[in-house]
Amino acid sequence: MVLYDSTALAGNSSGSSSSSSSKPPPPPLQPQQQQEIDGLLAGAGYKVRSSELRKVAQRLERLETAMVNSPADFSQLASDTIHYNPSDLASWVDSLLSEFAQPPTCPSEFVMDPVTNQTVVNDAWTTTEPNMPQVHQNISYEQQSLNNQLTVVTAMEEDSGIRLVHMLMTCAECIQRGDFSLATSFLEDMQGLLTRVNTVCGIGKVAGHFIDALGRRIFQGIGGGSINGGSAYENEILYHHFYEACPYLKFAHFTANQAILEAFDGHDCVHVVDFNLMHGLQWPALIQALALRPGGPPLLRLTGIGPPSPDGRDSLREIGLRLAELARSVNVRFAFRGVAASRLEDVKPWMLEVNPKESVAVNSIMQLHRLLGSEPNRNSPVETVLSWIRSLNPKIMTVVEQEANHNQPGFLDRFTEALHYYSTMFDSLEACTVQPDKALAEIYIQREITNVVSCEGSARVERHEPLARWRTRLSGAGFRPLHLGSNAYKQASMLLTLFSAEGYSVEENDGCLTLGWHSRPLIAASAWQALSDAPAEFPAPDTHRPS
Amino acid sequence: MAGSNEINLNECKMVVPLNTWVLISNFKLAYNILRRPDGTFNRHLAEFLDRKVPANANPVDGVFSFDVLIDRGTGLLIRIYRPATGEEPQLNIVDLEKPVTAEVVPVIIFFHGGSFAHSSANSTIYDYLCRILVGTCKAVVVSVNYRRAPENRYPCAYDDGWTVLKWVNSRSWLQSRKDSKVHIYLAGDSSGGNIAHHVALKAVESGIGIMGNILLNPMFGGQERTESEKRLDGKYFVTLRDRDWYWRAFLPEGSDRDHPACNPFGPNGISLEGVKFPKSLVVVAGFDLVQDWQLAYVEGLKKAGQEVKLLYMEQATIGFYLLPNNDHFHVVMDEISNFVRSDC
Repeated sequence: MVLYDSTALAGNSSGSSSSSSSKPPPPPLQPQQQQEIDGLLAGAGYKVRSSELRKVAQRLERLETAMVNSPADFSQLASDTIHYNPSDLASWVDSLLSEFAQPPTCPSEFVMDPVTNQTVVNDAWTTTEPNMPQVHQNISYEQQSLNNQLTVVTAMEEDSGIRLVHMLMTCAECIQRGDFSLATSFLEDMQGLLTRVNTVCGIGKVAGHFIDALGRRIFQGIGGGSINGGSAYENEILYHHFYEACPYLKFAHFTANQAILEAFDGHDCVHVVDFNLMHGLQWPALIQALALRPGGPPLLRLTGIGPPSPDGRDSLREIGLRLAELARSVNVRFAFRGVAASRLEDVKPWMLEVNPKESVAVNSIMQLHRLLGSEPNRNSPVETVLSWIRSLNPKIMTVVEQEANHNQPGFLDRFTEALHYYSTMFDSLEACTVQPDKALAEIYIQREITNVVSCEGSARVERHEPLARWRTRLSGAGFRPLHLGSNAYKQASMLLTLFSAEGYSVEENDGCLTLGWHSRPLIAASAWQALSDAPAEFPAPDTHRPS
Repeated sequence: MAGSNEINLNECKMVVPLNTWVLISNFKLAYNILRRPDGTFNRHLAEFLDRKVPANANPVDGVFSFDVLIDRGTGLLIRIYRPATGEEPQLNIVDLEKPVTAEVVPVIIFFHGGSFAHSSANSTIYDYLCRILVGTCKAVVVSVNYRRAPENRYPCAYDDGWTVLKWVNSRSWLQSRKDSKVHIYLAGDSSGGNIAHHVALKAVESGIGIMGNILLNPMFGGQERTESEKRLDGKYFVTLRDRDWYWRAFLPEGSDRDHPACNPFGPNGISLEGVKFPKSLVVVAGFDLVQDWQLAYVEGLKKAGQEVKLLYMEQATIGFYLLPNNDHFHVVMDEISNFVRSDC
């Protein structure tokens, strides 16, 4: 049983490592540590501590020498190696150096000062320190995200489309002010304008859904109406078509599976806990990959969490049986367990029956945001769930979330963000021509829109938050990031090129991968590992996983 | 192949601050990994390594940005940067394209560098530079995410620049109050500078007026090996070998470096005499190995009777304008600002 003292980790960057001094200190966990980071390089997207600049420079120099001495080898090796988190320049340079079997710290960098008999750093860099006042533009992307980022990618709109948007914003503003009668008149105007606007694509398409959602909010109140009452069966159908129509879920599954596969390397008893089983679409690929792994497949247990089936069916079990059938056909020893729960916070860790000898992977595809209650500071469900996840000591936790700020307290801010997010997502759907996938995918997205716009309190479950916020929350809850590397990036990119329209783009973001439409990330995938408390097991500070 | 592989690290260490050295050396190293000897490019790794930043319609330090998809077919994206006036409490699509209010507003169409192969409009270093330009020039900046080599050779980048120029020129909300015209400047660094020149050429042919060209360490070359190329090869982050690679990747297959795209005043260039070419501001760094070509470009413009101002920054290396930690940076920003504001 792992005891967890949250205060010790939250404020103290050196963690609980108190063991032998030969271990280097762990990397900082908290964003506060960025005070030491070179502000100008941060503005260029690189996090290097000022105190480490010289060291990084020396290593870059050594890499250049290696490059000059054997350019062909260098190129080949460096291309084939897996790169992680280019923002962390020091680690990136070190990992390249270790590819060339040169230890990052080499005594020959230093010379003995004959007078003092102390080692002195040997370099010739100008020592002029930049005398610049702190330039505000040099806040990192992470800081910017925390400071209310609003990303807009527009295609060119007709005037009526622009008028519609203007009215939507004004209507939302009236609602925020509590002026419902004015809001209602705008609603009527918009419904009229909608008949004259191209609703097949562009802003007209998504505007209709936002008009509906505003209407619900005004007339039905914020309790959610019947939207969340959609049956689990309906939800599953819509989910499946959303899966088919665009690559967001496929990307989520694929990236998470890659990370899980790597984490399970060398382990013979593995247990995956899926926070939202649905039709189990993610798992056939993992089962097959495990079947093919060198050394043979492990024993795989899968615990799938999902809502209870109303009509006496045990749909979780049915999915389990199908997956078991597949596993059998590829000779993977497999066991399935379904855990029925209407809400994730109702799940208790004992229900998962995790065996201490197993390697556990916790997989959350767009579920964690549902745990963000309306009162974030009072032992919210997310803290509780993250705590018991940690108590399972998972080898890896894969998290995929919508990359959006839909949990802002102010209604107008939330509305604006949602309008841009979903219009980008709808724009990406244009490329899909398969029906009924496309139409049903749109309804799937529409439900999210309705929840974000017309619900409040416990009814509002679509509380999406951006990656920067999740990083802070997960680090604070005792997890450290496992970086997704260039191999995962490349494979995700290639899959997109093969199976999806042009316009989708995968980006690397400080160890995580995002999938977006053109320059707007829409989905973010990350991987985490629980920090262990026992000093002897404290993980080494390199954030790379064995390749 | 001219030039040696010898690296003289000590020289470039002396002339740039440490963090600049780290930044540019990091690029140099990464770019080396990305260029393959057979002329292909490791695009996936390039995109993975490039640091990017999304647009932000909420003002940061007085500047906000948003992206526009100009051409779905080619995926041509631009990022527009505008000064925040401080009035609007909330931005929406309407406000993003709110008409400019000043009598004269310069609109700078910016082409990022990267030797035609690297970087994007949303690369962090270029997002930063464009924001600076908005502030110092009180301008609207339109950064072009043009198609890159080697996947898209000449003339794709120029075509994309031309598409954006036409788009910008036709936006009523970018028209200056004084004459209901869009006051357009073309600007770019490295390959971006080269693109700016060629798009200006096209503009002149088609009758679209350009107020001025701003070329920062523009990328030009030629078949001949110039004195500066031989003297500075490998000394300040850049080698002749890599320059050759990028030209081979961009120019039509089978061309040599006297192709007019590379060498506009060379044996295959066209004369600009009598042509209504925009005035130019050309910045040349004293430690840039292709400076002889850049100086020849300036001479070429002068000989053709064109208005050109040369800014020769003796102690500057490539990329000096990426971080605001040196005097050259501030001198150049002031000059650019004057160049642009002189028409206001």
